[in-house]
Amino acid sequence: MVKGVPNALRLLTWLLVTLTLIFVLAPLIVVAGVSVSESQFIAFPPTGFSLRWFAAIFESNAYVHALTTSLKLAVLVTVTATIIGAGAAIALHRRRLPGTGLLAGLFLSPLILPSIIFAIGLLMLWSATVGPVSFWALWIGHMVIALPYVIRTTLAVLADSDPFLEEAARTMGASRWQRILYVVLPQCVPGLAAGAFFAFNISFDEAVVALFLRTPDLVTLPIQIYNQLEFSPDPTVAAVSTLMMGLTVFLIAIIDRLLGIQRFVGT
Amino acid sequence: MRDRIEDLALAGPGILLLALAFVLPITEMLRLSIVGADGGLTVEHFARFLTDSYYLGIVWRTIYLSVLITMICAVIGFPLAYVMARVRPGLRLWLIVLIILPLMTSVVVRTFGWMVLLGRGGLVPFTFWKLGFVGRNFTLMHTEAAIVIGMVQVLLPFTTLSILGVVMKIDRRLEEASRTMGASFFATLRTVILPLAMPGILAGSLLAFTLSVSSFVTPSLLGGVRLPVVAASIYDAATKTLEWNFAAAQSVILLVGVLLALTPYIKLSGRRHG
Repeated sequence: MVKGVPNALRLLTWLLVTLTLIFVLAPLIVVAGVSVSESQFIAFPPTGFSLRWFAAIFESNAYVHALTTSLKLAVLVTVTATIIGAGAAIALHRRRLPGTGLLAGLFLSPLILPSIIFAIGLLMLWSATVGPVSFWALWIGHMVIALPYVIRTTLAVLADSDPFLEEAARTMGASRWQRILYVVLPQCVPGLAAGAFFAFNISFDEAVVALFLRTPDLVTLPIQIYNQLEFSPDPTVAAVSTLMMGLTVFLIAIIDRLLGIQRFVGT
Repeated sequence: MRDRIEDLALAGPGILLLALAFVLPITEMLRLSIVGADGGLTVEHFARFLTDSYYLGIVWRTIYLSVLITMICAVIGFPLAYVMARVRPGLRLWLIVLIILPLMTSVVVRTFGWMVLLGRGGLVPFTFWKLGFVGRNFTLMHTEAAIVIGMVQVLLPFTTLSILGVVMKIDRRLEEASRTMGASFFATLRTVILPLAMPGILAGSLLAFTLSVSSFVTPSLLGGVRLPVVAASIYDAATKTLEWNFAAAQSVILLVGVLLALTPYIKLSGRRHG
């Protein structure tokens, strides 16, 4: 802390920080609280303790179906976005392509362009050219949104890498693909892994593209929750939401281990 | 030359994906917005939106709520980011984790939490009732206040992290020099730190504003059908009344608004990285 700050001010500052943290975390705490309540009505503070709403998730066809869809989608998005992102990040890092700056802008633009605009465009284009929306439309949509995260984490790792390693491999006779496979890619691994976990989290939590592209058969977990919230929420919604939060905590812990969460400050 | 071919092969799949699944959809949306029922070019969809007081009311609500939300985020975000930048690294890491946790939680889940807190019998109306401010059946759901509360919670982490990135780069010695020369803590804050942090505050606010004007899930669940925002109007036209050209025109209007806010953002963040 800065020296020479009046004690009263110091106290006030910490009060403000604490209140802000409570405000930011309140909805998460409430959802977790409701999920373990015994009551069949949504109420906070919870009454009693029970895990029956978690059991209820797996007895509901709609939730099991949505969970399966979301998991399949997230895994597929993670794998493909990571592979595509790895290549793109390496090419961007080398800066040998003409217009690299412009290309970097293109690759990162899904990050700042609101997804509702992209979602509606994708719905219209897919319907005009392919036909009714399907799982594959959602896969492509989520890939576009997840790609910038993979590219950014990988670029962050590559920025700290040693450019002379590839030079050394070249002088010792390694071919182009050998250099990428054995020298460049291994250096990317922490960034790629962190990007992969980001990609998974984004696809698993995403609710805008999934909402525009939803059909009765194509409902992801966040959309299933959204449907319930529009009509008749019961504590099962809280249990599903708590599971999703648990997964997020787990993913943050992994990303922090791999790359250090502090790197993502200042976006 | 062969280097370029190699790099093009590496970036190729990504370029292809973004060209086909990002640039092309947005182009299609632009095209549909100016196509009439007979297939000819028209501005009727824009005219319909911009001349109807119902839709203009939606635009006005979206803009003033977003300005309010953005300002609250900046006013809370700056002191929070400053404190985070000045605590010891271990504590800072924990604060960052506590801010990133809600940021990475699904918007649907967070909005649900607010529905429980603000709805009839929820903790917030209940406390107000106990304090004697309101009647027993008071609810904050389906009010503009609910939208503002929910959206500030969604966007505050963005703003805070954005400002933190800039405050962390401010040279501590400037602050010390100012204090040594007799400036009070507040004078230093006002004349040294705030001006240096301003690019971060502006960039974070512009980003928060674009996210706010285009957000759909939180405003529509917390505000309900009687308080629609632009995104909800687009969603209704695209999925309920199936007026795609009209939905496309509204999206173009939203896109133009977002780009107007993003242009200074790109300039500000570009200068920061450059």
